[in-house]
Amino acid sequence: MKAGIFICHCGHNIKHTVDVRRLSEYFKKIPGVEVAIDYAFVCSEPGQDIIKESIENKHLDRVVIASCTPSLHGDLFKDLLKKSGINPFYLRRVSIREHCSWVGDDIEANTEKAKRLILSGLYSASHYIPLEEKMVEVNKSALVIGGGVSGLNAALFLAKMGIKVYLVEREEELGGHVRLLNSVWPSKRSGREIVAEMVDELNRLANVDIYTNTTITNFEGFFGNYQVTLKKGEDEKKIIVGGVVVATGFVPFDPSIKPELHYNKDKRIVTTLDLEKGLETLEISKKPRVAILHCIGSRDETIGKSYCSRICCINAIKTAEALKEKYPESYIESFYMDVRAHPKGGEEYFESVQEKGVLFTRGNVAEIIPTDKSIIIRGEDTLLGEVYEKEFDLVVLSIGMSSPVENKALGQLLKISLDKDGFFLEAHIKLRPFDTAVKGIFIAGSCSGPKDAEESINHGKASALKLFGMLNLGYTFVDPFISYVDPKRCSGCRQCEEACIAKAIKFDEKLRIVKVEEAACMGCGLCNATCPSSAISLKGYFDSYISDEISGLLEIA
Amino acid sequence: MSDKTEREPEIVGFACSYCTFKASEMAGSLRMKYPEKVRVIQVPCSSRVDPAFVIKAIFEGADGVFVSGCHPGDCHFIKGNYYTRRKMAALKEMFKAFSMDGKVKLFWISAAEARRFIEKITNMYNELREEKNAGKKN
Ligand SMILES: Cc1cc2nc3c(=O)[nH]c(=O)nc-3n(C[C@H](O)[C@H](O)[C@H](O)COP(=O)(O)OP(=O)(O)OC[C@H]3O[C@@H](n4cnc5c(N)ncnc54)[C@H](O)[C@@H]3O)c2cc1C
Ligand code: SF4
Ligand code: SF4
Ligand code: SF4
Repeated sequence: MKAGIFICHCGHNIKHTVDVRRLSEYFKKIPGVEVAIDYAFVCSEPGQDIIKESIENKHLDRVVIASCTPSLHGDLFKDLLKKSGINPFYLRRVSIREHCSWVGDDIEANTEKAKRLILSGLYSASHYIPLEEKMVEVNKSALVIGGGVSGLNAALFLAKMGIKVYLVEREEELGGHVRLLNSVWPSKRSGREIVAEMVDELNRLANVDIYTNTTITNFEGFFGNYQVTLKKGEDEKKIIVGGVVVATGFVPFDPSIKPELHYNKDKRIVTTLDLEKGLETLEISKKPRVAILHCIGSRDETIGKSYCSRICCINAIKTAEALKEKYPESYIESFYMDVRAHPKGGEEYFESVQEKGVLFTRGNVAEIIPTDKSIIIRGEDTLLGEVYEKEFDLVVLSIGMSSPVENKALGQLLKISLDKDGFFLEAHIKLRPFDTAVKGIFIAGSCSGPKDAEESINHGKASALKLFGMLNLGYTFVDPFISYVDPKRCSGCRQCEEACIAKAIKFDEKLRIVKVEEAACMGCGLCNATCPSSAISLKGYFDSYISDEISGLLEIA
Repeated sequence: MSDKTEREPEIVGFACSYCTFKASEMAGSLRMKYPEKVRVIQVPCSSRVDPAFVIKAIFEGADGVFVSGCHPGDCHFIKGNYYTRRKMAALKEMFKAFSMDGKVKLFWISAAEARRFIEKITNMYNELREEKNAGKKN
């Protein structure tokens, strides 16, 4: 073995709490290590050059990169090995940032830990064998799940780029929640109109198939070749797509979950969404007293929703303005914890509505008491430190965004994860906000957390752009991490066959041993851990790799 | 740590790539802290963990070993974690005979549960630290 070890400072991120120089000095003395270098940013171009030159000049056959966590940087380092003329599976990534420098403060302990982690990686890599990636064709088609503004824009973008698009919407009509909005801030246009324009444009494109009243009942395969079953009424249809954009949106918080809000029991208590149907439906006098309550269904630990829904402050302000315009003599008071007028222009809008005479009081409402002639509201004004009790004719609940309960089932079908609030989880909140952990499946819009319409649209376009980049290439490499049977060791006991969930293991009646169907193997490694004869091994995770990784962590050194 | 003469337990964890390893990445990104002596090995699925690995780690000096996968029903490989549960239960039974069952633990930690990851491993660490310093009491 001729190994090269490249230890990244990550600027200060690693160097700050790990003595990187001591590590490179230490590894220089380890047998089998040809080069050990610590460098400011190994992922930068000069960093990559150092690695490439080391491989070429020192004829390295193992490359250990100790830096950020392996799920970052995609194929950058693998490609670098390829370019340098060695098998890309001689690469070993070791996380000394997310798993070391960022989780401990003690420089001594961290340096020791980083040393252990790198040693483990090195020991494990010493057993690596070269692997071949299989190139497979990618279907230039995409499935978009959900026809709200995020899904519509993802579909539009992909279709315009020449990708065949299947847009699946559970409801009768496209448009999601924006379709229900009377006035969409900041443009103040009708949501129905905005959505209609998008749908018209989509309808004009020949390469889009729209399925409404449709759900997904089965999902299999891998990036480039996903087999999907769609169900509309009793009819089922199978399609094949290269990739997926999930855009299933949100559900408005249902205030009847909290009985103390008296929603659905008293006509004078309504939500911001109810008012989007138009103010005409209201049965109130010309001089109504209106209370608007922020953070309904958000920032509320009692119902397990600690997040801010981001749209409801603006909605509260928007509603106040609409009411003030229609009823100039009204008294409107908005009760908030703090006003988060999130998007650009929000603060200015907030001020302008205050100038129109809407009152804003800091202090959430503690109690709502409907009486015959009015609704009494009690709470504490946290700016004045005083308790208030006031009478109103109408109470508007500014409701937040919740995650659809069906996300769980869809997540299980697509094998993508949810966050603690039931929204779909990003592969990385900052670096990969459009990706899921599964290759070729992206998330768009409010299904990954509260977003306003503009953010949802942009998120949809960005996810579509990322997917387009992958589809347009026309091919992909499948991971070679599949099982392999050593015919000399297999006793033919068939325990692995019984365990394999993917049914990828078949018994060969003639040879009386098992063999693996490569295309069906998912690469879980269950067979490997089950075989009593150590005859079946998962490539990339051989027993020797893991076993020596354990030794690296623990041996006395 | 505070007391210099205190013995710190060493813990080796096996974490599934699709859930617990992701949670550990997120814990890192969020700069959550946990004892340096807890170290994680990435596996494609918790079902890849051969009980022999657990035994090996203990044999070579680990004070505790945990295997952590997706919550039941959420396994990326459909139900690999059920096999893990069965194997770990059998292993724990075996360890019980030697009063060593506290050394092995099985966790379910999803990709989103960075906080749960920290809680589980910190609790395990604290328990093992008690044991490891038992001789110092009195
Ligand atoms: C009262 C209220 C007022 C608002 N006002 C504004 C405003 O003024 N300005 C602004 O910018 N934003 C506003 N918003 C926010 C805006 O509604 C959202 O940002 C927007 O709807 C998000 O779009 P989306 O496509 O992500 O999700 P959605 O609009 O929720 O669309 C998701 C679509 O996916 C479909 N779907 C869900 N699950 C499945 C499935 N399993 N299979 C198939 N289809 C599925 C749904 O039926 C739906 O059509 C407001 C929201 C509310 C509640
Ligand atoms: S946007 Fe405003 S009303 Fe909505 S949850 Fe956040 S702070 Fe509360
Ligand atoms: S479990 Fe091992 S020995 Fe038994 S059939 Fe499978 S590969 Fe062969
Ligand atoms: S790795 Fe998993 S899917 Fe592949 S053959 Fe083994 S048990 Fe089956």
